[in-house]
Amino acid sequence: MASVVGTFTVDPRSRAAKRRARGEGATGWAFVSPSVVLILGLGVVPVVWSLLLSFQVNDLVSPSQWVGLANYQALVKDPAFGSAVAHTLIYTALYVPLSVVAGLAIAIALDRKIALIGLYRTLVFVPFVVSAAAQGVLFSFVLDPEFGVANSLLLKVGLPAQGFFSDPGQALYLLVAISLWSGTGFCVIVYLAGLQGVSTDLVEAARIDGAGRWGVLRHVTLPALTPVTIFLLLFQTINALQVFDLVFVTTKGGPLGSTTVIVYFIWEKAFKTFTAGYSAAAAYTLAVALLVIGVALQLYRKRVAGR
Amino acid sequence: MSQHARNLSRRDVLRAAAAVAAVGTVGACGKNDDEGADPNGVVTLDLWHGQVDLGKAAIDSLIAAFNQSHPKIKVVGGGGGVTADSMLQKVTAGLAAGSYPDIAYIFGSDLASLTKSPKVADLTGQLKVDGYWPAVKDAVSVKGKVRAAPALLDSLCVVYNKKLFAAAGVAPPAAGWTWDDFVATSKQLTDPAKGVFGTGWPGVGDEDTVWRIWPMIWDLGGDVVSGDGKKAGFDAVGTKALETLDRLRTDKSLYVDPKPGSEQLYQVFLGGRMGMVATGPWQLPELKDAGLDYGVVPLPSYSGKPITISGPDTWTIFDNGKAKVKAATEFVSWLADPAQDLQWDIKGGSLPITKATAEMPEWKKHSAATHGLDVFVTALDTAKVRPTISTYPQISQHVGEAIAAVLLGKQSPADALKQAVDQCNQVLAVPS
Repeated sequence: MASVVGTFTVDPRSRAAKRRARGEGATGWAFVSPSVVLILGLGVVPVVWSLLLSFQVNDLVSPSQWVGLANYQALVKDPAFGSAVAHTLIYTALYVPLSVVAGLAIAIALDRKIALIGLYRTLVFVPFVVSAAAQGVLFSFVLDPEFGVANSLLLKVGLPAQGFFSDPGQALYLLVAISLWSGTGFCVIVYLAGLQGVSTDLVEAARIDGAGRWGVLRHVTLPALTPVTIFLLLFQTINALQVFDLVFVTTKGGPLGSTTVIVYFIWEKAFKTFTAGYSAAAAYTLAVALLVIGVALQLYRKRVAGR
Repeated sequence: MSQHARNLSRRDVLRAAAAVAAVGTVGACGKNDDEGADPNGVVTLDLWHGQVDLGKAAIDSLIAAFNQSHPKIKVVGGGGGVTADSMLQKVTAGLAAGSYPDIAYIFGSDLASLTKSPKVADLTGQLKVDGYWPAVKDAVSVKGKVRAAPALLDSLCVVYNKKLFAAAGVAPPAAGWTWDDFVATSKQLTDPAKGVFGTGWPGVGDEDTVWRIWPMIWDLGGDVVSGDGKKAGFDAVGTKALETLDRLRTDKSLYVDPKPGSEQLYQVFLGGRMGMVATGPWQLPELKDAGLDYGVVPLPSYSGKPITISGPDTWTIFDNGKAKVKAATEFVSWLADPAQDLQWDIKGGSLPITKATAEMPEWKKHSAATHGLDVFVTALDTAKVRPTISTYPQISQHVGEAIAAVLLGKQSPADALKQAVDQCNQVLAVPS
């Protein structure tokens, strides 16, 4: 019955349109399906899998066992994770503000028309292009306590030789310094681009109103650069919280665990002691922290933009 | 009904994609259930050997010879794309993903934790273990079962630079020397003005830092774990071993390698800036290349009796079906036959895996031509291996931290040891 009713009520033209629409929908899905499969396979599935992993005792080789929140509870009590978090926070708290402020300062210094400016800009950016692995190897040579260039220079100017990566009190700060050497270049480039967008009319108007260099910077340039600054803060924070490659190449978390950052801790737990579930719990903790920071900065940006 | 015909909704597509992904995953897990032979009866074996340079050349020529003489088996030595150092990580990831090799080169210290996987083949009764050196047999046995074939054998001895000894006017060491002699010699050899160190030790706290201390512990009557396996076995004697390192440190005669991998330690020695270094036979080809005038003596001890450690690496076989396991077993047994063992040893820098190989005239000729090699072979008679227990990597980590703390002067030997013992006891208290 229903089909008879249907046949009578439906206008043939709209049926054709529907069929066409259906054909288009299928074609559309056919076109996007490779990327859907990629995103599902390489993005969503691993994310869900590692969430499940974080509720299990799993050494990746033998059958796993469901333990609920036990991994997270153990994580809270683990002094090694506590110090990994502390090291990561110290690293982030130093690296992010220093790289952004230095990036701004250098960008302002390079935002002028002088001879060879292209060369200067390139030179500032070059360290950023060097891979973290290469940086690590390079600085391991320079900073070698016995045979490195750095200590021989120190001795020449009469300063005592330093332990560098062998000294638990210095290693983390050296990592910050190396990251600044390379990471500042990125901030410079982004700020340089941002500076091109600062309205010259506004700057001129401020000058006419009697603002000095500092006044223009404080009241015109910086506010105009706020979106860029927030982007850089977010980007650099995420980068800093995820630092791993440099640590892996230079210190492997040592000496005496003084440079064990969160991601290195995750790697160590998954692939050295084979407690993959525990490692996944640590990874999820980091991911949630990153999410919170990201959302908070987004909200702040919206508020600033809405003002 | 026809007006209910729907467009393909987004949800449908997601469902379909999820189903495809799920089938893919299950499919990946479920593969390899077949017998592993192709229609012509040829079994293809995937070998991850992790070798580079000389070792790669040696294994490649052996694989070619095997494929030639065994038409029903085809070994593919792809190497797995990693060096031996990262093999454990690569294989573990492979096991988790359900796609793993048939044979992989696994360090002896990693074997026990890997055997927790049901995919590691049990080779009990399949290999001629009685022909191996006792240390080798121990190294491939886990819980009384043979779980791998020996791949590379070494022993730890002291290599010294004759030129530096002559320059410092120190008599070369001889077998039967003690750690006190070692410390004193090291101090005499040290010359800060010329940047010369008496000896060196890897300082990052990894397994290379740790394994060198076990012969000292064994000599003092301790062990890695106690007899019942429930406690650390070095609580009573570990302090003394660490004190020896501490004396080297306070004498400033010890070069502590700050970098992972210990490459630099050997570079310093090869560069003629270190008097003595504890190392394995794999170092001899490089010493020869560097043209260094060197001598080899057994490791010192406290008791004066010879004792050392051997850290054999293994060929571990993974279960990809019965036919593949059988073929893989045939391949690794063939590798251990004296004819092949000899080639691998001479080209790849290993010691003979079986005593039979060590008796061969070709080996004796090679040994005579390579200065000091006989000392490493003789040391095998008194070599022990680390226990094949799955908790060893964690014990190694804690002991490594203790040694690094002493080498860097951050903790006294007694404090560092106490902390390591407590941590190891905690690890061992968990049933495994």
